[in-house]
Amino acid sequence: MVQYRLPMLPLSEEVDWAATVNGNGVSTRMESNAILLDVLRDSLGILGTKRGCDMGTCGCCSILVDGSPRLSCLMLAQEANGCEITTVEGLSEGHHLHPIQQTFAECGGSQCGFCTPGFLVVISALLDENPKPSDIEIKTAIEGNLCRCTGYQQIVDSVREASSILCDGSGVGDSTDPKSDPHPGFAG
Amino acid sequence: MILIRDSRGDILGEEDSDEMVGYRQQPGKLPFSKPGSGGKSRFSEPRDESMIPESQGGEKSQPWGDHRHDEVVSGRVIGKPTALVDSRWKVTGQAQYGDDIRLPGEIIGRIVRSPHHYARVLSIDASKALELPGVLAVATGQDATRAFGVLPVTKDEHAMAQDKVRHVGDLVACVAAVDEASAREACRLIEVEYEVLDSIHDMRDGLEDSELPIHDRGKYHIGESNIQKRVFQEFGDVEGMKGSAASHSSDWLFAGANHGFTEPHATVAHWDPSGRLTVYTPQQVPHYLHRALADVLEIPMHQINVFRTFVGGGFGGKSDPFPHEMCAAILARKTGRPVRINFDREEVFWVNRGRHPSRIGMSIHSDNEGRISGIETDALIDGGAFASFGHVTTYYNGVLHTAPYEIGGFHYTGARVWTNKPASGAMRGHGAVNSRCAVEVGLDDICEQLNVDPIDFRLANLLPPHSSTITGFRVTSIGMRECLERVREASGWDEKFRNMPLGRGIGVGCGFFISGSGLPIHWDPNKFPHATVHLKIDMDGGVTVHTGAADIGQGSDTVVAQSVAEVLGLPLDMIRVRSRETDTSPVDLGSYSSRVTFMNANAAISAAMEIRGDLIKATSEITGSPEEKLVIGDRRIFRKDDPGVGVSYLEALHKSQEDRGALVSSGSYRTPPMGRAHKGAAAGLAPAYSFSAYVAEVEVDVETGQTRVLKVWAAHDCGKALNPLSVKGQIIGSCHMGMGQVLSEEMRYGRTGHLLNPDFLDYKIPTVHEMPDVYPIIVESNDPEGPFGAKEAGEGPLLPILPAVVNAVYDATGVRVSELPISPDRLHKEIERKCKNAGVSDPLEMEPPRIEHSELQEVLLERGRQHSERDVMRRSVGEPAPYHNGALFGLDPEIPGDEQDSRWTAVVIPPESYLENPGLAGSAWKHVERRKRGVSE
Repeated sequence: MVQYRLPMLPLSEEVDWAATVNGNGVSTRMESNAILLDVLRDSLGILGTKRGCDMGTCGCCSILVDGSPRLSCLMLAQEANGCEITTVEGLSEGHHLHPIQQTFAECGGSQCGFCTPGFLVVISALLDENPKPSDIEIKTAIEGNLCRCTGYQQIVDSVREASSILCDGSGVGDSTDPKSDPHPGFAG
Repeated sequence: MILIRDSRGDILGEEDSDEMVGYRQQPGKLPFSKPGSGGKSRFSEPRDESMIPESQGGEKSQPWGDHRHDEVVSGRVIGKPTALVDSRWKVTGQAQYGDDIRLPGEIIGRIVRSPHHYARVLSIDASKALELPGVLAVATGQDATRAFGVLPVTKDEHAMAQDKVRHVGDLVACVAAVDEASAREACRLIEVEYEVLDSIHDMRDGLEDSELPIHDRGKYHIGESNIQKRVFQEFGDVEGMKGSAASHSSDWLFAGANHGFTEPHATVAHWDPSGRLTVYTPQQVPHYLHRALADVLEIPMHQINVFRTFVGGGFGGKSDPFPHEMCAAILARKTGRPVRINFDREEVFWVNRGRHPSRIGMSIHSDNEGRISGIETDALIDGGAFASFGHVTTYYNGVLHTAPYEIGGFHYTGARVWTNKPASGAMRGHGAVNSRCAVEVGLDDICEQLNVDPIDFRLANLLPPHSSTITGFRVTSIGMRECLERVREASGWDEKFRNMPLGRGIGVGCGFFISGSGLPIHWDPNKFPHATVHLKIDMDGGVTVHTGAADIGQGSDTVVAQSVAEVLGLPLDMIRVRSRETDTSPVDLGSYSSRVTFMNANAAISAAMEIRGDLIKATSEITGSPEEKLVIGDRRIFRKDDPGVGVSYLEALHKSQEDRGALVSSGSYRTPPMGRAHKGAAAGLAPAYSFSAYVAEVEVDVETGQTRVLKVWAAHDCGKALNPLSVKGQIIGSCHMGMGQVLSEEMRYGRTGHLLNPDFLDYKIPTVHEMPDVYPIIVESNDPEGPFGAKEAGEGPLLPILPAVVNAVYDATGVRVSELPISPDRLHKEIERKCKNAGVSDPLEMEPPRIEHSELQEVLLERGRQHSERDVMRRSVGEPAPYHNGALFGLDPEIPGDEQDSRWTAVVIPPESYLENPGLAGSAWKHVERRKRGVSE
């Protein structure tokens, strides 16, 4: 690969890289200065993780590295070498959505949806750690994510709903099951 | 009892015999589906009478009267909180936005941008770039010389610079390379020689003659200035407004604001082997891009397919056809490969099209009866380097505050100038936001002077339903009064207003916005509809909806699916909306001016009504019942008086498909003829208007000037909430965006004119911690023209939050700001000044404002009561008598003011006398157009 002097980045060498992405082992060769977001999107084709600002201000590129939320645009891929990476695509099990995915859809947590993947992974980490977060804990968890459509209120509502699903253990159905309603609307 | 068997004859189950009453077995049809079916659930649900309007014998009360769509209500989905139909794609990461379109063999495009504010491009040398391995093509302005622009009257943009660059970030050239690193390096290697010209940055300089105006409009050029558009309007008793009991006057300065959508622009262009161009792009207005691409690339429109990807937020910022979309197409044409261009966040700010930086002079007068005797507005708006939607914005800054109040006079001068900044354009609340803020804050000051309650003052000055504004807008449903009454009650206004301790305050603001514009941008003599929807239903029973309406996250796909589902009595999952491609979608003018729900749902309803008619006819043929006795429930068509007699949806469908196959229908919407005939009369004209009233409660730290919004009670009249979940989302989201503009968001330009904060670190969008608790209140005024009574809910809700916060800051501190955003440093300075004038050394010793009602308060209360009765009467009779603005001032309500009273005028050209002492924007009229000076070009 051709190299150019890009601002702020030192010249690189080609290195081996391996990680578990959404449960699948991945290994590849890459530049040592490659940004994790670029690797995920452009090399691995995991397009659910969004590029919003490239400087850690919007949170659209949030992913989980070994279970903790990180901004993939501010991480060198090297930092995640050997780690377990979860993106929005890894939240659901087949067609069984994670409760926070389900409630985002039902409660209006997602409008244009561009910031949604970032919010979802951050919130899933919160709920893993604390299935019954208080409002201020929810707000603190998502303070690094910008949403321009919802004004956050329906996002916080969605987290509360997801929390109650998790706490009563009811879980979320499979949308391909002919008996389930594929549009889980009618929340009210 | 009927046994259900599969193809081998094995018994699968039994049908409940109750469900089969009245069903006539049609041999041979069963394999398609079971009776009463057609969706995932086997059985129809009984009709929900609480969702059926009273006028149809149901239980849903209708305090605002009947509606023409009442008879097609099946009680299924309209009015229920509904998840967006595409939400599953979004929450699983499968929604594809601009940058997620990856085609085989794609290459990367990058744009070379101007480092200068204003310069002549002398030469471009791309030889070094082309020598770089991996670089496939370079294009410059020579490759596309035709101008474009979103408005046909102001086409002043090009794909790339023709001779001049007009702002930092203006496009000079573009390159295509195999990867991003090579493309970036190639951009660096392109050598451009510039001759730097004198740039202008202060909008006031744009009013002066210049040696080299930023654009040249030929014989239509105004003087030799940088004035792009100017407006003069005088309506009503303009002389009479002067000697008033109370007058407010202020000079406002509004900073520019950016949409701040989270998805940066991105586009992919691909010429397929058959020679057709497909452009994948997150566009709010695919149709205008379609036109512009054909123009610039000089190919016929039918050779282009505009594919709208998921749009990661628009808010008006993705509604112009953009030069980078042309660049991608040009590079793809040159290289024969798909070209993807995606922006850095910084580039988003250079493209901008955000809210205009504005200087607004606002004067409001009130007479001794507490009537608004006049509003005088002078709005100078900074358009940046291109026209964009500015022609319209210039009008909107004035005409959109001629309601909801009845006023005695209206004087408006507006001007939009070019400066060497990124272009301003349309942004949520287009053109109405800043001047509305100035009006509502002015009214607060008037009430302060008159010692009356600002809510009671407003309630005594509202236009009634079915009235005409001073400039002749036809206003139909008005829920303004209910909005005010409900926020007053919910917020505890009467206990809190002028009654809270220093540093805590409450304020009110109202809003008024168009619900679709009366004239389309491409005004056409062919009388094309504004929106068209096609439906197709084949034997599977699923309904395919083809519409060109762009879902930008506001939920237009959901609303159109809901409308069709409602009319056909189907569950939402049987409706699939195809709204992405201009190849398959009928023309829709796009997602701007809050037109989509209103126009597109109207078109969808009329298309669905045609099919509904077919289904009812088929049912009538099967059952022998007369058509007028039949109603549609959940996948069942049956007799209203005897619900046992009827057939399933699928059976009716198959019957009506006999001999013709799939059912197809087309519905469209076009605005009725409206408005007056003066120049500019069409600007602001809409088939319906939305109204809103907010009360905001704030906390101000008077020692630091930091303002925090604690609570917002937000009432919005959207006619009818088709999807209350989305309406609430729009209201809360509008509060978020408006709160950003009033407290923290500002495009800051440094002394040399450079944009200082083209990123989200320094352009301060409120985070979750800044958001107040918003209590959305939906008021449903049942608009006669709207689909099921609906009006817009996307832009209007933004307007009241700004003045509500500004007024609350006054209530908390006694400081009336006139510069936005109210950043801590600005407010601190104002508090310091107030302390100095009051002679107190510690801001904590300031006296917050208090109120003791004057005698006028009783007069207003009484008038408010009378008007309330008048309004209820006017909305409940079918065709009320005409009511023109002016009746409150003693004129005959049935005739426009200027046709009955010589003191009432309607003037759109400034008289000589005005030019002796014009306002700031009004001074634009001192210049004479070139053609009127005898200069031909």
